[in-house]
Amino acid sequence: MSLFESNFSPPQSRTKVRLIQKSVIIFWFSFLALFMCLIPRVAAGTFVDQLERQVTLPDDPQRVISLAPSITEIIYALEQENRLKGVTRHSDFPIQATKLPKIGSYVRLDLERIVALNPDLCIAIKDGNPKEVIDRLESFKIPVYVVNPRNLNTVLETIIEIGNILNADDKAETLLTNLHDRIQRVKSLISQDTYRPGVFFQIGISPIVSVGTDTFLHELIVLAGGENLADGKTPYPRFSREQVLALAPEIFIVTSMARQAVFERVKAEWRRWPSMPAVRNERIFLVDSNLFDRPSPRLVDGLELLIKLIHPELLK
Amino acid sequence: MTAKTPFIISRLIWVSGLLLAILLAAMILGSSMGSSGGGIISVLQVLSGKSDPDSMLHTIIWRIRLPRVLLAALVGATLSLGGLVFQALLRNLLAEPYILGISGGSAIGAIAGILLGLSRFPGVSLTAFLGSIATLVLILVMTSGQTVLKKESLLLSGVMVNAFCSSVIMFLVSLTQDSRLHNIIFWLMGDLSTADIRQVGLLAGMLLPCFILIFRYSHAMNLLLMGKEMAQSTGINIKVVTIALLVTSSFMVSATVSYCGLIGFVGLVMPHLLRLIFGADHRLLVPACILGGGSYLVICDLLARTLPEQGEMPAGVITALIGAPLFILLLKRSKR
Repeated sequence: MSLFESNFSPPQSRTKVRLIQKSVIIFWFSFLALFMCLIPRVAAGTFVDQLERQVTLPDDPQRVISLAPSITEIIYALEQENRLKGVTRHSDFPIQATKLPKIGSYVRLDLERIVALNPDLCIAIKDGNPKEVIDRLESFKIPVYVVNPRNLNTVLETIIEIGNILNADDKAETLLTNLHDRIQRVKSLISQDTYRPGVFFQIGISPIVSVGTDTFLHELIVLAGGENLADGKTPYPRFSREQVLALAPEIFIVTSMARQAVFERVKAEWRRWPSMPAVRNERIFLVDSNLFDRPSPRLVDGLELLIKLIHPELLK
Repeated sequence: MTAKTPFIISRLIWVSGLLLAILLAAMILGSSMGSSGGGIISVLQVLSGKSDPDSMLHTIIWRIRLPRVLLAALVGATLSLGGLVFQALLRNLLAEPYILGISGGSAIGAIAGILLGLSRFPGVSLTAFLGSIATLVLILVMTSGQTVLKKESLLLSGVMVNAFCSSVIMFLVSLTQDSRLHNIIFWLMGDLSTADIRQVGLLAGMLLPCFILIFRYSHAMNLLLMGKEMAQSTGINIKVVTIALLVTSSFMVSATVSYCGLIGFVGLVMPHLLRLIFGADHRLLVPACILGGGSYLVICDLLARTLPEQGEMPAGVITALIGAPLFILLLKRSKR
C-alpha cells in the first residue's frame, strides 16, 4: 500500500483522480448492496454454493475445516481463525495456520482425520479437492460448501460468501473495499501509459511451462499493464527454449516454489541468450508462486508486485 | 474334482482355517490403526457392538476403516488369485497381471473412461475390462505360433506390452491439463482411500462369483500344469477351461483396477510364497491365495497409511517395495 501512497499521481491531476475514486467507491458499494441481495438464500441455514448445490449450513459454524490453502488465507483475512479447526498440509500463510491440525494435502485429503475433528462445516474448492472425498464427507452428514473462483472478481465474491456463512459480513465488506481500492489504483496507474511490454511468466522450470488466457496469472499480467506472451486456450502451455527466444520477452518472471539457488541456475541459463530483451535489460525476476496461484486476497499483493516489475516508471 | 480324497479335505480345512485366522487378525489390526489413533481394545469393543453407536470412534471404524480394510482384502485376494491363474495357464511362474501388462491395459481403459467423464460404475469398469481384454489378446497373438509358451518370449512380450501401456498412460496424462491430473496420478499408484461400503459390496458382488468359478476349475489347473496330453486324456476341454479362466481373471483384475488403480506384485509374491509352503495343488492354492493375498494387501495398506508422518502413501508403493526385490530373488532362483 505504501508503494502507492507515496508515489501516487502528479499533483495537477490529483483532484480528478479523487473524484474518479469517489465515484468508483460509490459504484462499488451499490454493486455490493445489489450483490448482497442476490446471495442465494433459499431458507434460513440453506445456501447455494458456487457449484449450484443446495447445502444446509449451521447458523454459526464453530468447527470449520478449510480444504485448501487459499480458503485458509481467506478465513484468516476475515479474522475468523477462531472457528478454524483444521487445515491442509500446505496452508502456510499466515504462519499461525501451520500450527493447526493437518488433514492431508488438498488433492489427497485424509478422510479419517477430517471426520475425527468433528467439523460442523468444511469449505472445499472445486479445482483440486477430489469429488469422491466431498461426496463421502456429505455421507457423514458434514456440510460442505464448495467454492469455485475462476478469476479476480469471483475471488472477491468468494470472500463475500465465506464472510456471509461465517457471520463476518462487516469484515468481508471492509476487506473487499480495501482490495477493490488497491485494484483500482493499479488500473488508474496503468491507464496513464499505453505501452504494454511482453511478459513471459515461467511457472515450470523443466519443462518450461507458462500460463494461458484462462488463469489468474494472465488476468494479473494484463491488469498490471503487461502483455502475456503465452496467452491462448491451453491453460498451462509448454514451451521449448527456442519458442521462448522467438517470443522475445521484455520481462521475464520466474515463479518458484523452489529455492533461490534454482532461480539463479535458471537465470544463468537464460543469460546465455543476450539477444533476448529481458536479458539485455536485466529484467529477469523471481517471485513467490503463492502470491499468484492461490485464489485468495493475496492475489492483489501479487498484482501490486507485478506492476512494480512491469511498469516501475509509473511508480516513480 | 474327481480325485478329492479325505486327506485333501482335511488339509483344505486346516490351511483355510489358519489363513482365515491370519486374515481376521490383519483386518482387526487394520481397523485399529489410523491417522486419528485408536487401539485394539477399544476397536474390539466397537466391533463387538459394545460401544455407543454415536461415538466418533464407532463412526470412524465402521464407516472409514472397515470399508477400506474390506476393500484391501478383496483386491489383494483378486490380484493374488489372478497371478495364480496366469501362472498356471501360461505355465510360467513369473506371470502376473501387472507384469504382463494386463493391469496396464485396464488402466488405459480406465483413464480413458475417466477422461470421457464416465461414472466409476459401470462406465469406467467397462472401459477397464475392454482394455484388459485387448492387452490379453495382444499378448496371446504375440506369443501364438509357439506350441509351448516359452518363459522368455512370454515375459518379453509382457514387458513390451507393459512398456507400451505405460507410455500410452503417460501420453493420456500429459494430455490432461486440469486438476484431474493429480487424482489420476494418485489413483495410478494404487489408492484404496475412497472406499465406501456400498462400493465394496458392489465389488464383492462382482468378484465372489469369479472366485467360486476359479475354485471349480482348480483341479483342471492342476491337470493343465501336467501338460496338454495329460489334461486331454482326463476328459477336460482345454480350450473352454483356458478361455473361461483367462476372461474371468482379466475381468476380476480390471474390476479392481477401475476401483483402486495399479497395485503391483501382489499377484507374484503371494502365489509363490504359498506354493513354497503348501505345495502345488491348486485345490489348496486357490483358497490359500484368496485368504493370503487378502492379508498381504491389508497389511501393506496398513503400512502405507501409518508409516508416513503426514498424510499417506499409495498402497501400490509398499507392495512394489516388498514385491520387486522378491521378484528378482525368484527370478534368480528360477534360473538355477
